[in-house]
Amino acid sequence: MAETMGHSATATRNTSVVIGFCLLAIAPQIFEFIWSIGTIFGWGAGRGPATVLISHATALVTGAPAALIGAAGGETKKSSSDVLLALIYSYPILAVAIVTLFMTIRSAQDYVGGVILMAVALFALWASSDLQGMRGFSFGAGTAPRMFGGLLVALSAGIALSGLLADGPSMAHYSWRGPLFVMVAILFFALAIRPLGLVVTAFASFMIAATGSHETRWLEAAIVGACLTLGCAILFPYVLGLPMPMFPRFLIQ
Amino acid sequence: MTSLRALATGACAAALASLCAFVAPAAAQTYPTRSLTMIVPFAAGGPTDVISRIVTAHMAQTLGQSIIIENVVGAGGTTATTRAARAANDGYTLITGHMGTHAASVPLYPQLAYHPEKDFEPVALLAGTPILILARKDFPPKDLKEFVTYVKANAEKVNAAHAGVGSVSHVSCELLHSILDVKPVGVPFNGTGPAMNALVAGQVDYMCDQIVNAVPQINAGTIKAYAIATPERNPSLPSVPTTTEAGLPAFQAQAWNAMFAPKGTSPAIVASLNAAAVKALDDETVKKRLLELGSVIPVPADRTREALATLVKSEIAKWTPVLKPAS
Amino acid sequence: MDIFANLAHGFVVALSPINLLMCLIGALVGTLVGVLPGIGTIATVAMLLPITFGLPPVGALIMLAGIYYGAQYGGSTTSILVNIPGEATSVVTAIDGHQMAKQGRAGPALAIAAIGSFFAGCVATILIAVLGAPLTKLALAFGPAEYFSLMVLGLIFAVVLAKGSVLKAIAMIVFGLLLSMVGSDIETGASRMAFNIPELADGLGFATVAMGVFGFAEIIRNLDAGAEMNRDLVQQKITGLMPTRKDLIDSTPPILRGTVLGSILGILPGGGAVIASFAAYTLEKKLAKNPSRFGRGAIEGVAAPESANNAAAQTSFIPLLTLGIPPNAVMALMVGAMTIHGIVPGPQVMQKQPDLVWGMIASMWIGNLMLIIINLPLVGIWVRLLRVPYRLMFPSIVIFCAIGIYSVNNAPVDVILAGVFGLVGYWLIKHDFEPAPLLLGMVLGPLMEENLRRALLISRGDWSVFLTRPLSAVLLAVAASLLILTVLPVLRAKRDEVFTESEN
Repeated sequence: MAETMGHSATATRNTSVVIGFCLLAIAPQIFEFIWSIGTIFGWGAGRGPATVLISHATALVTGAPAALIGAAGGETKKSSSDVLLALIYSYPILAVAIVTLFMTIRSAQDYVGGVILMAVALFALWASSDLQGMRGFSFGAGTAPRMFGGLLVALSAGIALSGLLADGPSMAHYSWRGPLFVMVAILFFALAIRPLGLVVTAFASFMIAATGSHETRWLEAAIVGACLTLGCAILFPYVLGLPMPMFPRFLIQ
Repeated sequence: MTSLRALATGACAAALASLCAFVAPAAAQTYPTRSLTMIVPFAAGGPTDVISRIVTAHMAQTLGQSIIIENVVGAGGTTATTRAARAANDGYTLITGHMGTHAASVPLYPQLAYHPEKDFEPVALLAGTPILILARKDFPPKDLKEFVTYVKANAEKVNAAHAGVGSVSHVSCELLHSILDVKPVGVPFNGTGPAMNALVAGQVDYMCDQIVNAVPQINAGTIKAYAIATPERNPSLPSVPTTTEAGLPAFQAQAWNAMFAPKGTSPAIVASLNAAAVKALDDETVKKRLLELGSVIPVPADRTREALATLVKSEIAKWTPVLKPAS
Repeated sequence: MDIFANLAHGFVVALSPINLLMCLIGALVGTLVGVLPGIGTIATVAMLLPITFGLPPVGALIMLAGIYYGAQYGGSTTSILVNIPGEATSVVTAIDGHQMAKQGRAGPALAIAAIGSFFAGCVATILIAVLGAPLTKLALAFGPAEYFSLMVLGLIFAVVLAKGSVLKAIAMIVFGLLLSMVGSDIETGASRMAFNIPELADGLGFATVAMGVFGFAEIIRNLDAGAEMNRDLVQQKITGLMPTRKDLIDSTPPILRGTVLGSILGILPGGGAVIASFAAYTLEKKLAKNPSRFGRGAIEGVAAPESANNAAAQTSFIPLLTLGIPPNAVMALMVGAMTIHGIVPGPQVMQKQPDLVWGMIASMWIGNLMLIIINLPLVGIWVRLLRVPYRLMFPSIVIFCAIGIYSVNNAPVDVILAGVFGLVGYWLIKHDFEPAPLLLGMVLGPLMEENLRRALLISRGDWSVFLTRPLSAVLLAVAASLLILTVLPVLRAKRDEVFTESEN
């Protein structure tokens, strides 16, 4: 990225931030869509991809007008969870994205951090929207989550605002190799510990994680990994007595 | 790349593993050929855990294989019970269910992932823990009769403590309230320890709880007991009257603990497990240790598989109307 | 005096060979459990419980108690060396302890943590013996209203310990509170924000989130391009192993103050020990001549919270020994161990089981002595561990953390969640948010909400209970004044900044 000083640079930066926010605004919908693809193959329960796509699209497009008409007409019909997601989560983030277009970001670190945190808070508000509120003097299940959610929206808005008002650091650089391989190692560990046992899983995860660094020397890593696996295999099940499968399930039976 | 190869090997191994799990035949002839796992749906050291450990220690001798206790806590024991319902029905995974997981859970959790009757083979009833009506030491009523009139008259003012939704203390107090036809404020605590602490400190008025934790407090006079909700008095608290004697015969509750196997476990295996459990209950040391806990050991007629099936059915029928409006 | 006779009796019990051995095993296992990331005391004590069935009850309990307070010693090690707090009480230690390690002063940090813990452990043990029974009244005086106010105070402490922006620290606390809401509601049992995932039904575990935002996030960050130089620098810089004379002089008052705070707060069941460690940190930061050193490797920031958490670990036995009521999950397991041996602890346990009670109290002192003898030489080994090249160190930490998290509930989903929180933690670092307030918010959140709701249920919705109950009112007043003290300088600094800018 060749960065130059001046207005054009800020402008391009802003557009990418805006696009990022727009994606963030429909991230839960996208996530559910990807998740729903699994139902075609019979993994997990839930709605199929077509249903997900249609219901979210209609909720996003018609959510606001419908809610406005409803409010004007004095209707108190309960909106569906998809519509609520659009109203509580997607619309505010989209609004922030639009506002961002016209702003000069003085500290991207604070501004983007604040907005993403706000997204988390709004998502929590949506997630707790189906819970019961106050019942007389006693708190309902949803009272505290909504209270903290609202508070976090306000605080994160404050952080985002400070990113517009005061100069500060710009976005930090994210790398991909470390996070990717460490996450794959963790994921592999989680999925393999039950069927494959500690020995295979620990060694394989060690090697996957080691891939995350470009300094890794393979022979050295394999030796240390093997020693560590052996150590863990003695330490956890025997010294600490934690019940853990040791070897692949098919070898035992 | 080494990691890629490792991944590929891992994937193949995983596929193989799942395949073998399907193919492996249920070897029933020489059951058991390896150690058994007993899932306990509560934390180690709790009443259900202690009872399970005492009984399985003896059963392991009878069966000639060790029994590993695995404590899986969460969601009032339903997490563990769900896992047990989905476990292989080869007789090597068992669960100690109790009043909560195999009866009260049905009305309490509408989205329960198992059904106590449909997803389990009853093995044997192990022991029951009587439930007491307890109160802070300066609570005005002197006996159960006064307690009933006092709570009815002051339903708006009194506070009942319980150890969390779905706990024995919560469920049994709901039963008491439905019998008295009152709806006092229930103050939830995180476990029996904090609830007992609040009762000793006088921050709440009364609660219903299992006998184990309450005996030393009653003996020391830090709290008082109005009645025990079993047909007979308990040897560890001989001076506490039964609810029948004290004038509230309708309130009968016992936290029973029983052994279950996943549905489809072969009858021969279930029979041998039942025999081992019954043998354990007849053992003198097992008996002694269970009695020390204040537990009630089931009479021989109640130890059969059929009796347990009937108990589960009747308990679900008993708790459903009491707990339905609450959730 | 009775106490001396009792203590002498206790020492006779505790010094018997079998009990000495049990004490040593407990201390060793505790240290190990504390050092290994993720493996908590609850899981270990639960796993070791069956082993204790074959032992005499006194020996069994001495061992379990040893694991409990031994883990407090060990917990500081991972916090300091690799910035992974294994227990809620060592979150605070990680802040300055790990900074010290980065400056090549891991040795002094570890040593001062051990020395502070030893001193605090000794004082607290004497306190249990002498004042155990009267102090019980404090545990009973704390009702829901008082606990709520204490939690509010605790959250203010979390603001104070932040080194950066106050606004961001508060946002992190609230984020933590929000995360703590996941799971089932205590009053209705309704599932909150759990998205029908069974593993979330009981909420996010502390170990899961802590391993994620501290452990995994730190690793990922260290793998960033450009971070190597920093690490190599750390490895070359390692200076002396033992604290200097100046370090010792600097840490003596914090150790004393930490011990007092920890001893008092430890008696309160439910969150007392956690609050103790950061109350101690806050106190030191407020008393310091130059508070800006905190968060950048101040030895007081290690000495005070470590003394406090160990003192609290000892005094938290008081409700168990005098009332027979377990104040936390580990003690509940110990009650279970006693129950299996046919001893159900109650208010009369001191009279009925003098061997057990006084033997345990005496063993605590012996255990602390053993722990410092074990831990001081270990400092050299731990520091040498830092010289292991990071390319080998980080996959090992990943594996240890993964096994540790898995072992808590035997749940693979917990491991995945920790990974997700690793990414969250990476993001937090990139946006200059601090993870410590988040964790504290998460630990205190449920306690605060539950006690607020309990208090309001008992008062029938009357909010004035928090002010009419004297203890609660005092705690709230302290919280309010502390907040003002923290926010005022920040506002003033902001104003100064504005002025200097306008002058330019």
